[in-house]
Amino acid sequence: MIKLENVTKRYGDKLVVDGLSLEVAEGEVCVLIGPSGCGKTTTLRMINRLVEPTSGRITVGDRDVRSAAPEELRRGLGYAIQSVGLFPHLTVAANIMTVPRLLGWERSRMRARVDELLTLVGLAPDAYATKYPRHLSGGEAQRVGVARALAADPPVLLMDEPFGAVDPLNRERLQGEFARIQRDLRKTVVFVTHDVDEAIRLADRIAVMKDGRLRQYDTPERLLDHPADKFVHDFMGADRALKRLGRVRVDTVMNTAVPRIDRSGGGAALTSPASCAVERFAYVVDAAGVMEGWSDCREPESSESPGSGVTLIDWREATVRPDDSLKEALSHMLELGFRRIAVTDDSGHLLGDVSLAEVEAALTGGDSHVATSPAGGLDR
Amino acid sequence: MKRRWAGVAAVALGATAFGYLVSREDWWAVALHWLFPSLPVVLFSSATLAELVIQHLQIVLTSSAFTIALGIPLGIWVTRESGRDFRELVSATADLAQTFPPIAVLALVLPALGFGPAPAIVALSLYGLFPVVSGTVAGIDAVPRAVLEAARGMGMGPWEILRRVELPLAARVIMGGVRTSVIINIGTATVAAAAGAGGLGSPIISGINTQNGALLLEGAAAAAMLAVLADAALDRAEELLTPSSQ
Amino acid sequence: MVREPDNIDPGVSHLADRVGATGALIVLAGCALLPLYALRANRIVPGIAQPIAAGGPAAWVLVLLAMVALAAALRARGPSRARLELACAAGMIASLSWALAYAAANITPDPASPARVSIGAGAWLAIAGAAAVWFAATRSPMSRACRVGAAALVAVSWLAAGWWGGLARLSILREYSSQSDAFWNEVGTHLTLVGAALGLAIVIGVPLGILASRVLRVRRVTLSAVGLIQTIPSLALLGLLVLPLAALGLPGIGPLPAIIALTLYALLPIVRNTYLGLAQVDASAIDAGLGMGMSRSQVLTRVEAPLALPLVIEGVRAAAVMTIGIAAVVAFIGVGTLGVLIITGLGYQADDLILLGAVPMVLMAVVADALLRALGRFVTSPGIREEAR
Repeated sequence: MIKLENVTKRYGDKLVVDGLSLEVAEGEVCVLIGPSGCGKTTTLRMINRLVEPTSGRITVGDRDVRSAAPEELRRGLGYAIQSVGLFPHLTVAANIMTVPRLLGWERSRMRARVDELLTLVGLAPDAYATKYPRHLSGGEAQRVGVARALAADPPVLLMDEPFGAVDPLNRERLQGEFARIQRDLRKTVVFVTHDVDEAIRLADRIAVMKDGRLRQYDTPERLLDHPADKFVHDFMGADRALKRLGRVRVDTVMNTAVPRIDRSGGGAALTSPASCAVERFAYVVDAAGVMEGWSDCREPESSESPGSGVTLIDWREATVRPDDSLKEALSHMLELGFRRIAVTDDSGHLLGDVSLAEVEAALTGGDSHVATSPAGGLDR
Repeated sequence: MKRRWAGVAAVALGATAFGYLVSREDWWAVALHWLFPSLPVVLFSSATLAELVIQHLQIVLTSSAFTIALGIPLGIWVTRESGRDFRELVSATADLAQTFPPIAVLALVLPALGFGPAPAIVALSLYGLFPVVSGTVAGIDAVPRAVLEAARGMGMGPWEILRRVELPLAARVIMGGVRTSVIINIGTATVAAAAGAGGLGSPIISGINTQNGALLLEGAAAAAMLAVLADAALDRAEELLTPSSQ
Repeated sequence: MVREPDNIDPGVSHLADRVGATGALIVLAGCALLPLYALRANRIVPGIAQPIAAGGPAAWVLVLLAMVALAAALRARGPSRARLELACAAGMIASLSWALAYAAANITPDPASPARVSIGAGAWLAIAGAAAVWFAATRSPMSRACRVGAAALVAVSWLAAGWWGGLARLSILREYSSQSDAFWNEVGTHLTLVGAALGLAIVIGVPLGILASRVLRVRRVTLSAVGLIQTIPSLALLGLLVLPLAALGLPGIGPLPAIIALTLYALLPIVRNTYLGLAQVDASAIDAGLGMGMSRSQVLTRVEAPLALPLVIEGVRAAAVMTIGIAAVVAFIGVGTLGVLIITGLGYQADDLILLGAVPMVLMAVVADALLRALGRFVTSPGIREEAR
């Protein structure tokens, strides 16, 4: 979809981008990453001609970017930047409608689109459409920026550290939302960041740059497993194994057949040894399937206080979601001191669990069967 | 540091040059004769140029002295506890008064006080008050709260805080107000010549009345030079009053 | 960083209203120490002070209301105090109009006689004091009906005093009536000149300001040049223009140098504010605009202009107020603005002629200021409005 052929940018005698060639396939997220001054932002800005290359050729969808007027090119590309650059004198809705208005859409179509986009980025249209940028928090402004970039439904999105100016918690959320939106929309995205974890989480392929040159352009897994040189190796970070885990979604490896006890079944069901089966514990759920805790069958039954073997928890604090990464699941496990952790949906319904066994399997390379060697295995 | 004092030196040099230039009426006579060969009279006869400049300066400096002596304390007072009640009124009055054309203020004072330099001084003092008050209030307001808290925490009394913290930090903005006031006054004093106040407006008005371009130019050139010089001098003063760290 | 006044609003009820009290005291001082009206044998002779009683019952009402206002300021509390003060303020200004009218009608009953009654210094002081009381009253929240009612009372009273009460006998108005055609001519010339100069200054100044925000060299040269012009006294500038204009074969006096001078003076606020307005536009908004596909001119009109406009209007406001003042000075070179009245008045030493020129000019400036401020507020998008103090 996007092709850069031997693109160079020189300012005076300073070579900012040096003979860069890469290709981004349609529907792919390409992340440009590298230390400050490596030329990643300049490269991005050459795609929409905010910067003109000194030499080389850039094509978007088989058309040379120079074949049309820059304005026309840019209206077909979504553009979101770190400082967002919302127009302070316009409402959120008017901001979003910027490119559609330039393209001459009709009112009703624009209005519908605004509602659609605000919902997509997780902001309630009724509340946010008429607000002014000054009343938005950092995270909200970023979302509006993304909505604005998507407004005219461009096939390509150019994003320059769009989540950079936001606090870590919000950044996490925004990354997750972006991943979700991308799954739905399948845009071709060129994304600049300096945050390796962000790159690994979001990219289909990562282009590692230094001093204007492309060092390696590969999937995150291959970058982590087979770095091309020492620079890439060091840049990806020492905790490569953990980063690998960041690429695996919980729902792809979780166990769904977990023992569960329906609490509404009454006291007798709680202590029934049959429910505990091999695992010697069972998750306790309510009638709707929302997780309430677990029952440890190894606790001797006490007739004075039936149900004393049950640990009740708040699912919001002690579970993970299906689209969280294994890295997060591991982190939670370590934090809570468990060897496994339950997976629930957004309303608390128990879906399954993941254990250290799944973590280890992912670390050793993709297959989901449990390792059997005593040294590598993690016993429960 | 050197740059600041270089600027001051330049102004001092300019002032000296101006002073000398003004005293050499013969030079003016030659130049004006050359420009206006057909006119018999090229210099203002009722007073020498130097005298006119001094008259002008007297009016401006006297009124500025009053303005500063009244305006700065007033501005300080309305930012103190005791004067807070009056702050809005004073600010609103100052804003309103600055929309009054200066000529109008001169014209309004005249019926009450008559003609001559003294009423002009009163009018100029009154009109010049408002930029200075506004500037003082703005300057003191702009002192960061954190700095005041720190000063209070260190045990400085209100008087000390004013003297050692607020005024030095506000000095530049206050000076800006004074500068505005003085420049306007120089201009208004020029017009005040029509009300018998003397000064550099006299040859200008006389020149207009007698259709004598040389007199016009004599007054206009000297007044323009004086104004530019004064503005430069006050600009230097503003700079000097800024602590080096700002 | 601005420091908030950390007192409570002076309109607060549990303390005495010192501002209102001061205003009331000023009114009383005006009445007691200075004459409210003065009698002049003719146009040019200074006036002889007249006793306050010459104003008839209205004058005593004025004094009474001042005392009530003082008592209210010191003693009353709560919203009723504000309403009372406002009523007194309106009443004072209203009764002043009747007192003046009464004095003018009774002291100089014969309209043909050259003797006339003029507004005394005390009356001006009374107006100032009453305005202060009004100001103090309106610091407290008050219904719109109250404010409008008070203003209406004053307006109606002055109009009525003018129509029936003999206010027209007041010296300044007699001056007006003897000059009315010329007066309106002068007002017209004044306004036309101001309008033309402002228009020219906007047409030249705004593009210059835009250029200055783009090109550094232009900025330095332009801002220095217009700044320099500003410091030169207006009369001096007019004088300096004579020579170059004469060299070009153009008249050195009259409307041409007047327009040139007025436009030059109006340039600074407009150029500088245009530049400042554009300079403070968020650079990332411009980048986003360009990146999304706006052309340079679209960015200018859709992003930069709306954001810079409030400051530009502020510059026009400052320019307007200043130009109204300088337009009086150009009367010296023979242009028939309100300055003519002032100059003539100075020549004859006729105070009321001077006032007839000065007062309308002040009103013009105040109204222009208020209108342009309102315009500024109007064009400021709610997204960029500064939070209220």
